[in-house]
Amino acid sequence: MSDHALVLRAVSKQFGAVRALAGASLTVRRGTLHAVLGENGAGKTTLMRIAFGMMAPDEGEVEIDGRPVTLSSSAAAIALGLGMVHQHFTLVPAMSAAENIALGGRGRLDLGAVAEQVRVLSARTGLAVDPDTRVDALGVGAQQRIEILKALHGNARTLILDEPTAVLTPTESEELFGWLRRFVAEGGTAVLVTHKLQEALSVADDVTVLRRGERVLTARAAEIDIVTLVRALTGEDRAPETRVRTPRSQTVGAVVAQLTDVSVRDARGVLRVHQANVTCHAGEIIGVAGVEGSGVHELLRVLAGRLTPTAGTVSLPDTVGFVPEDRLRDAVIEDFSLSENFALRGAAARRGRMPWPELRAHTARAMAAHDVRAPSPDVRAGTLSGGNQQKFVVGREMENRPALVIAENPVRGLDLRATEHVLRELAASAASGSAVVIFSTDVDELLPLADRMLVTFAGQVREVPVVRDAIARALVGAA
Amino acid sequence: MSIDAAEFMQASVRTATPLALAAYGELVVERAGVINLGLEGAMIAGAFGALVGASAGGIGAGFAMAVVAGCAATLLMAWVVLWLRADAVIAGTAVTLLALGLTGTLYRALYGAQGAALSVPTLAPVAVPGLHQLPWIGPAFFEQPLATYALYAMACGLWWWLPRTHAGLALRATGERPDAALAAGISPVTVRAWALLFGGAMGGLAGGVLVLAQVGTFAEGMSAGRGFIAIAIVVLGRWSPVGVALAALLFGSASQLQYVFQSLGWPVPYQLFLALPYVLTLLVLAGTQRRAAAPASLGAPLDTAP
Repeated sequence: MSDHALVLRAVSKQFGAVRALAGASLTVRRGTLHAVLGENGAGKTTLMRIAFGMMAPDEGEVEIDGRPVTLSSSAAAIALGLGMVHQHFTLVPAMSAAENIALGGRGRLDLGAVAEQVRVLSARTGLAVDPDTRVDALGVGAQQRIEILKALHGNARTLILDEPTAVLTPTESEELFGWLRRFVAEGGTAVLVTHKLQEALSVADDVTVLRRGERVLTARAAEIDIVTLVRALTGEDRAPETRVRTPRSQTVGAVVAQLTDVSVRDARGVLRVHQANVTCHAGEIIGVAGVEGSGVHELLRVLAGRLTPTAGTVSLPDTVGFVPEDRLRDAVIEDFSLSENFALRGAAARRGRMPWPELRAHTARAMAAHDVRAPSPDVRAGTLSGGNQQKFVVGREMENRPALVIAENPVRGLDLRATEHVLRELAASAASGSAVVIFSTDVDELLPLADRMLVTFAGQVREVPVVRDAIARALVGAA
Repeated sequence: MSIDAAEFMQASVRTATPLALAAYGELVVERAGVINLGLEGAMIAGAFGALVGASAGGIGAGFAMAVVAGCAATLLMAWVVLWLRADAVIAGTAVTLLALGLTGTLYRALYGAQGAALSVPTLAPVAVPGLHQLPWIGPAFFEQPLATYALYAMACGLWWWLPRTHAGLALRATGERPDAALAAGISPVTVRAWALLFGGAMGGLAGGVLVLAQVGTFAEGMSAGRGFIAIAIVVLGRWSPVGVALAALLFGSASQLQYVFQSLGWPVPYQLFLALPYVLTLLVLAGTQRRAAAPASLGAPLDTAP
């Protein structure tokens, strides 16, 4: 058997006018954890999809366990011992863990037997999963364990994980990495796709960096430092500044927004937020952390004026900017031009004819001011890269200098440069006197920014010191 | 005048048979995530196919042709929706309109403009020994044409197949999360195509039952909205085989009720009673909280894969 579990050689892939991969290569040694790094659009996900047989390369070769293969579908990759845990989980929410794990099999289905196999596998690997619980009743950590068990149930010896920590709490991430280290120690192979450099360096054996569809670096993680990595990632000598502001001293501005004893019940009557008290002051940045289902999204939507609470009083300023987490669902319409999207904000307050020339000029000014790179205000929002879309949304929401800005995971999925830009905009907004509330699933993003920290857990909102450990404990409800 | 309850129930089951057959086809299609508005078209195509087949080669050939015609109508739907990625609502409506028009035209072309009541042999009711003597439900459920017994087998088969086979699981997963199915190595396009083919066959069979087990002849537009009622039955039946059986029976009874009301001699225009099943359909569609039990990706087109 070959020493290499997975080899991709000189792989190219073209989507229309976009060259996603330009002769990229990847060599994964058996029994190692291999991190694949790259900025947005560097081709990480495309390369992994090709490795897993979800798309065919235009050029190049794939070798699994030393044998050249042509993968017609992911079923073929699974049969050759590959397993993939996708960034966006591919589980059926309305089905149980056992049903999800059985998916893709043939013949008769004995769910009881599958559940038993899952229990055995679960006990052997230490990945705790109850096979009979419906997936939509589970948290993201448990869903990810089901994804991994699904791959292992298909006898995967090589696991590909695409941005597995993007949705996890720090504790869950550590558990996952602990498990992955054991998995490779027992002879398994893992490919970890990530954009978190520190994560890659601390947990992986080998690191490969992709840029613009090409491999620019492969090295042993122990032999390189973070500066080399950043240089390889961005192709620049200067590493982007990660620290965009210094948290303020205790001088407190005027109260801009206030929630008093606010409770929210969802459509099914479940209590999501329980008697929350939040005060936002001018000029401060409040960091918010909370796992899925902790009520954090409901809290932020109340603050943004998009959700009316079931109880309690809300006092909000006249102007609120809101940068939602899912911009394609809640912030922009892909098929509208940038001007049209720009006009959406405040559309309810306008009457009569649309002042298009004015709006268009306005959009153009905002694009210039916020570094939105697009040919003109007339292009469809959907043609912009994720980073430019996000800069556009942030720019639009900042347009009339709102007294309160709410940002939900504002830099999720953005590359280093776009991240830096968006964080600078938010910091500048606070410096000019707005109250800024930033939620992030990545606590490390908040630490250098936040003056204060709020953590939601099971509907309760708690203020904690801006310290990593304190936040991590509050996230899981520990004192 | 008195109304014989056993007779009423027997007629209800008879009326429910084609509705339930079509509804089971639609159940499979919807569990795969597609709404097949071409079901009405498959049904009328099946009815016409049954006429052509039966007048040439007897009842067996009639049913065979009914299935073939239903499949043909739905294959068109599958091709347009799954491979050309057209909108399923528009495509389904087009297939139904096309089938209604085409069968009418062909009928006149083949059997003359008068369409003088061409009659074909029909299936006689067969009593199941023993069971048909049960009080009330005996004659209703066990003194029916063979097509009704085929329906029972189909219902039990589906009830077993959906949860107990990997194919059933793949079908349900495709209706819930096609990308999850894809990641597990299942092709959602293939699953939806087979589901539509089955739905077409069942729609065709339902049309065949109308001709070969009930009316004994063909008339233009004789499906009379039963395809759409079958879709409503799937919704009312909460996408479950047992629910569909009960819902079909309810609709069958409602259709029979119109005759009961007419026979009562109330001073009300009889058209009001004719509208009863359709009014019930509307009420059901408006009144059910259908998102709760519906497949999550019902009606959502597949992503255009790169």
